[in-house]
Amino acid sequence: MRILQNSGVAIYQQIADQFKEDILSGKLEQGEYLPSIRGLAKDLRISVITTMKAYEELEKQGLVTAVQGKGYYVNAQDSEMLREQHMRKLEEYLLNAISAARIAGISDTELIETLKLLIASQE
Amino acid sequence: MNIESIVRGSHITKQFKGFKVDIDSLNIPKGFATALIGENGAGKSTLMNILAGVRLDYKGDIIYFDGNMKPEEIRENIAYTSPVNYFMPNWTIEQVGDAGRLLFEHFDYDRYRQLLIDMDVKAPEGKRSKDKAIGKLSDGMKMKVELSAAFARETKLLLLDEPASPLDPLMRDKLCSMISAYIDEGSGEKSVFFSTHNIADMENITDYAMIMEQGKIVEQGFVEDLKEKYIMVKGNRADAEQAKEILYTIQTNPYGFEGICLDENLDKLSGMDISTEIPTLSQISVAVMKHYTKLAA
Repeated sequence: MRILQNSGVAIYQQIADQFKEDILSGKLEQGEYLPSIRGLAKDLRISVITTMKAYEELEKQGLVTAVQGKGYYVNAQDSEMLREQHMRKLEEYLLNAISAARIAGISDTELIETLKLLIASQE
Repeated sequence: MNIESIVRGSHITKQFKGFKVDIDSLNIPKGFATALIGENGAGKSTLMNILAGVRLDYKGDIIYFDGNMKPEEIRENIAYTSPVNYFMPNWTIEQVGDAGRLLFEHFDYDRYRQLLIDMDVKAPEGKRSKDKAIGKLSDGMKMKVELSAAFARETKLLLLDEPASPLDPLMRDKLCSMISAYIDEGSGEKSVFFSTHNIADMENITDYAMIMEQGKIVEQGFVEDLKEKYIMVKGNRADAEQAKEILYTIQTNPYGFEGICLDENLDKLSGMDISTEIPTLSQISVAVMKHYTKLAA
């Protein structure tokens, strides 16, 4: 886990994002417990309240469930939701490609052609 | 979030000549590290002394540990370190350890020795080290002895008055680790309340901040909430005059302005070409102190 102090992204958000990635990629499996709030704070040298907020964020997104006195475990990931998450990521990358194309003055047809070419080269 | 308090105080006042510490309500959250931040002379040490039982000439009520403990239990469960000479100056570090064992039921002598070695006060076992009198040690060394004696005890609350000030950067870092480890091993039962006039070194491990100005707590909250309440704004010189009306604190120079804005007022800056940043706790503290100093002047 990498925490940047001055990235402009709040530290709790960075932690939440990295756990989210691990959960969605399956690196953290269903039923597995996240590290304890105070343990993670100690290991990452950040405040307890920051880790708490990160875990609450994950809970809000339905990725984990809190159990009184035991901690937070990873929820079963709904395949529909997973697809949705990946779709959002895909859209984000494509939007980046579009804005790069606009900056360079590349036409939409050229952009689509490039994408097709890249897909073909991957096969 | 359901937050309990480890110490609750109400209407704590102490009148000095021309200065009054006046704290209407005090709640130190349980299971967290809380920083008491303020300028020199803001009343931090007075509050610390009152909480630690060093100063008894105050008015008000203080309840420790939910009021469930007997006075001797309270004493056993709180460790305190002070920025002024705390031990008898002619005692050696060995004698400080002996006194700790005499005074407290749960004083781990081996842990005390280990902490002294970890903090470079004492040479590792097997090597000879001079047992100097405490009064002959430097301020940094004295603080390290105090911290060793405090962390060697089995407690539920640490009251640390300016623990970082006399320490070098490496030792401040070590102190942060010690506080984190203490909070972690308590799993929500152990709390730390420390004062500082320089929060930058301790900011990463601070959960809750209380900012004191002229004897009063003028702002407090969980750091994550404070970082949403205040926002750092930077903009162009041309907008500085207008921004001055809206910002909480502002500094201008020939090239532009920067300052802290209340998040709720950020909308009022729309139309200006600005960049925003999440402020650090020290930036928030300085802004709050400036704001209240200006108000008082």
